[in-house]
Amino acid sequence: MSKKALLEQPATVPAAADGKARPARRAPQNLWFTVGPFAVFLALFALVAVLRPAFLTGGGMAILAVQAATILLVALGQAMVLHVGSIDLSNAAIVIFAAIVLAQTLGPIGPAAPVVTLAVVTLIGAVNGFLVAFGQIPSFALTLGTLGILQAASLVISNATTVYATANGQLLAPLFGTAFAGLPLAFWVGVLMAVGLWAFLRFTRAGEGMTAVGLNETGALFSGLRTRWFKVMAFALSGLLAGVAGILVIAQAGAASSFGLGSDLLLPGIAAAIVGGTAITGGITNPVNIVFGALTVALVPIGAAAVGVTPQAQSLVYGLVIIAAVALTMGRGHTEVVK
Amino acid sequence: MTDKDTGTGLLEQAPAPSQPPLRAGRRFEFKNLGEVLALVGLIAVFTALNPATFLTPENLRTILDHASLPLIIGVGATLVILTGSIDLSVEGVMGAAGMTFVLMTANSRGSADLGPWAIVAALAVGVGLGMLSGLVHTRLKVPSFIVTLGVWFVGLGIATVLFGDQSIPFLPDGGIKAWPSTLTFGVPNAFLLAAAFVLAGMFVARFTRLGRFAYAIGDSEEISKGNGIPVLRYKLYVFVVAGFCSAAAGVLAALELGAGSATVGVGTLFLTIAAVVIGGTSLGGGKGGILRTAVGVLMLTALNNGLILSGVSPNIQSAVSGTVLIAAVLVATWPHRSRLRIVK
Amino acid sequence: MSNASLAPRTGVDTPALKLTNVSKSFGSTHAVKNVSLEVPRHEVVGLIGENGAGKSTLLKILTGLYQPDSGIIETDGRPVKFRKPQDAVAAGIGVVHQEQSLLSNLSVAENIAMNALSSKDAATRYGFYRWKQLNQEAAAILARVGSTIDPRTKVSDLSFVDRQMVEIARALRVDEAIHAAPLVILDEPTSVLERNEAAILEREIRALRDIGSVLFVSHRLDEVLRICDRVVVMRHGEVVADVRRGEVTEEELFRLMIGQESRARVRKGGSATGAVAAVEAKGLGRKGHFQDVSFAVSPGRSLAIVGAMGSGRESVCRALFGTEPFDSGTLEVAGSTVQGWSMRRAVRQGLAYIPSERKVEGMVGGLSAAENLTLVHPREAARGPILRRKARLKAAEEWFERLDVRPRDPKLPLGRFSGGNQQKVVMAKWLRAEELSVLILDHPLRGLDPGASQTVNDQIRAAQEDGAAVILLPDTLEEALEMADEILVMRDGEITARFDLAVESPTSLDLLEKMV
Repeated sequence: MSKKALLEQPATVPAAADGKARPARRAPQNLWFTVGPFAVFLALFALVAVLRPAFLTGGGMAILAVQAATILLVALGQAMVLHVGSIDLSNAAIVIFAAIVLAQTLGPIGPAAPVVTLAVVTLIGAVNGFLVAFGQIPSFALTLGTLGILQAASLVISNATTVYATANGQLLAPLFGTAFAGLPLAFWVGVLMAVGLWAFLRFTRAGEGMTAVGLNETGALFSGLRTRWFKVMAFALSGLLAGVAGILVIAQAGAASSFGLGSDLLLPGIAAAIVGGTAITGGITNPVNIVFGALTVALVPIGAAAVGVTPQAQSLVYGLVIIAAVALTMGRGHTEVVK
Repeated sequence: MTDKDTGTGLLEQAPAPSQPPLRAGRRFEFKNLGEVLALVGLIAVFTALNPATFLTPENLRTILDHASLPLIIGVGATLVILTGSIDLSVEGVMGAAGMTFVLMTANSRGSADLGPWAIVAALAVGVGLGMLSGLVHTRLKVPSFIVTLGVWFVGLGIATVLFGDQSIPFLPDGGIKAWPSTLTFGVPNAFLLAAAFVLAGMFVARFTRLGRFAYAIGDSEEISKGNGIPVLRYKLYVFVVAGFCSAAAGVLAALELGAGSATVGVGTLFLTIAAVVIGGTSLGGGKGGILRTAVGVLMLTALNNGLILSGVSPNIQSAVSGTVLIAAVLVATWPHRSRLRIVK
Repeated sequence: MSNASLAPRTGVDTPALKLTNVSKSFGSTHAVKNVSLEVPRHEVVGLIGENGAGKSTLLKILTGLYQPDSGIIETDGRPVKFRKPQDAVAAGIGVVHQEQSLLSNLSVAENIAMNALSSKDAATRYGFYRWKQLNQEAAAILARVGSTIDPRTKVSDLSFVDRQMVEIARALRVDEAIHAAPLVILDEPTSVLERNEAAILEREIRALRDIGSVLFVSHRLDEVLRICDRVVVMRHGEVVADVRRGEVTEEELFRLMIGQESRARVRKGGSATGAVAAVEAKGLGRKGHFQDVSFAVSPGRSLAIVGAMGSGRESVCRALFGTEPFDSGTLEVAGSTVQGWSMRRAVRQGLAYIPSERKVEGMVGGLSAAENLTLVHPREAARGPILRRKARLKAAEEWFERLDVRPRDPKLPLGRFSGGNQQKVVMAKWLRAEELSVLILDHPLRGLDPGASQTVNDQIRAAQEDGAAVILLPDTLEEALEMADEILVMRDGEITARFDLAVESPTSLDLLEKMV
């Protein structure tokens, strides 16, 4: 560098400011990111298998997969939003909303009902994303607001009671009625979605654009990427996947209500995404690992019961799992401000 | 030299340079009276719509009664938001503290009766949970929204575990259960307690290091650090105060309910955050105040009450709070929109 | 103002600050070499020097941010060691930094007292504020520097000069408990001020002489000569001159700062190739940033814009790329006036922007080098919406070879490469565009070693030869003289001079004179 510099710019210390190879950005997370989720699941599974051998023989795996299926879908949606650096607090409310809409439309319009439901909730997700990206509303505040609106909407359209899917239930029956490799179809739907999202992030320009937004939004912006639309896309995907989870709720229970099955999916969803290796800072997500995240989260209550923790402690355990998982896996710089 | 805006909205005569100012005369936080006018307008509209029911002493008491919980929580929430963080754990802390209180005072299960110590224990639970949030946030550098989300459910879990699988613990009739709704000077005690919290909060925000540093940290953590403020310590304190407020609200809610329930706080999070934002406290931190939040709470409570009196289903209450929250944030951030602004 | 109460504790001729042979190096770079200087009591000493001359390092040593490798620092005749910023404060050195360090939502009084507030202080005993006392104290300190600001005013409501006064008052407040005659260091306090505001501040600084001493760092030489009693000139980490005002002219100071001056060669070719300018600004302006900026750059030509801090040239470049708005004038790209200009449209029209904040704006450090390389213009790296990872890797390897990027592994995250290699990849990201029409470079060589600088400059020339119009904000005047066909000089948001290097050969001194 020439010694002669203009007067204005702040002096940088040559060499010191720009050392050769700085510590790897992903390094501390690398191991966790690749095999961590699977290892955690395996360890917890082994623990349960040793303490409760009946779990293996008594078809426990199938029950686990049933419980993991909805968590997995919600977690995948959450992961896409986390991937662009935001958070979606409304996606569990979307599940319930979707389930109620589906329960009410399944009788009248039959096979079209799931399609309509998915279209509606995808649109809701997209509106979330639109307001975050173009209205520049912090995502946690916005989705807290839409959470309230969706809860009210669910109460209103269900008249605050349980809505039963009266007819055409057979359309959804195979989801939990048929099994591959001993696990219900619903679970494989989730796995398929996970693989699809993995391919989306890895092999498409839009997926890579979302990764860039999550890692460094300013940098992506200066590269002329459509950063705002990538955010809209992430939230729309979150809505869509929550809708699929809503379909599973109806397939499983045949009915939906504001406080019924699926109403407490928010935290398990976030926990599964994070245990699955998703960084809450954005840009680091492996959807396939979220499958193990979801299985782990579904196994937590069973594991907790196996070591003698009461089932009432479930949300306590989830809460601690989230805090611990984020605290352990977060890459943090010493200088940045964390709010 | 001309009149200067001293940040209070009250124009004060700037003192002559030779005479140092002697009066520290700004107790009032409003830069403008927009929020108060909105509240008055709201009251006028609902009075016109429900002339027989809205502006009656009974209904006003109901509004004040409903405003009590969010007012108390709003004090802590405002302080946290002033520093630029967020506390989502409100409902969980309320559940845990409320349950602790019910089980430690005279109740139908007869688990224990520690008298006033039950309140102390409940507040200690809140302080503990606030400290947990604050410590994880400041020491482990986990963003506040995710820590407090976790603590929300930790609190709910604690309440559920305490509840166990026995019968619902009811508070005995009469005695302390009646306290919140008893009238003193024609105003329910619950509201008087809330008013005391708001006044104390205003004092803290104005006259203590804790309050002033919360503003400073919200303005810029970097500069605050450069100015020698122990940023992390004060952020922790703020979370502890928020936990304390939520716990107090939890005890009050349990008294009003007359029984122990883990979900005693359901719905208060929205209402409070919406009230903070609509009152004019910025989610980015550094701007706003507790009195502003109080006005926001009264606005939202009056709005909900008026809608119900006008025949709107109570089911949409959370939608009202949610819409108001989104609209308030949108309006507050609109002037600052820029293509280069990064919003997470 | 009574000087009696502020009398120095030691003899009048003991300097407030004395440095003897202070040195500091980073690796093999001697940032500060054997610097000796004195700031006598009740004097204003100016410190000038180019960027890289060692001023900033010296200031950081004086404020306890860096520890010198060798040498002695004395305040009031006593040797001191500053291990942390508080030590410097304790020794009576107050600093007014280049960037604002006030909390804008608090009152003037709170800001002035802030350092004391966080420790023990009578006005905030037990964590409670005594506003009356706080305001009185602040008013008293403000009166010392001749300011009449109401201490209850919020800082955000103050003008820039008033904020500077608050900063100075705060620097004094820090000292007064410990020290009778404080030393205030002002780090380029006027660089962002309007000229008339600067004049007010000048008066106040001269007044500070009565109560203490001042070390005044500035790049406005006329100002330094007006305000200061003595001027110390640094170059290449050393003090090259220490002169009294009146013994030296502005012209001589310029020469002392620069050493020998360099002159541009007259370009032989340098003619515009296309009839239509690739980019043309007509009376471009943005309120508060720049005004009436007009220029045209033809394909294959290069334009350098030079200017000091606050010249507005960065904003001009950002407006060209659609990053910042402009509110007057028109911008033409390839002959047609642009409407609804945005970064995305700029990229589509073949504009490229290499920002100075490389790590934040120029790249996505967490993505691999190959991914960064194809982020803007995927070309062979994608077919429709689908990425072709193998083809991309191959293309990336070719670019790595061409630009000698090391290590030769495009799969590594770009954040792990060194600055020079990062910049090469950032360049390549834009150069891959077939339709590259305008290349805007904001300090492209900042922080690079000579080898990487050479490669980057070669790429700029190659792009130019391929028909791109280049707009360059150089780090150094020499860079401008070496790279550009035309040089614009900006000051305070306006163009003050134009040099067409095909017909003139200005020297760095000519440019500098128009800058400050």
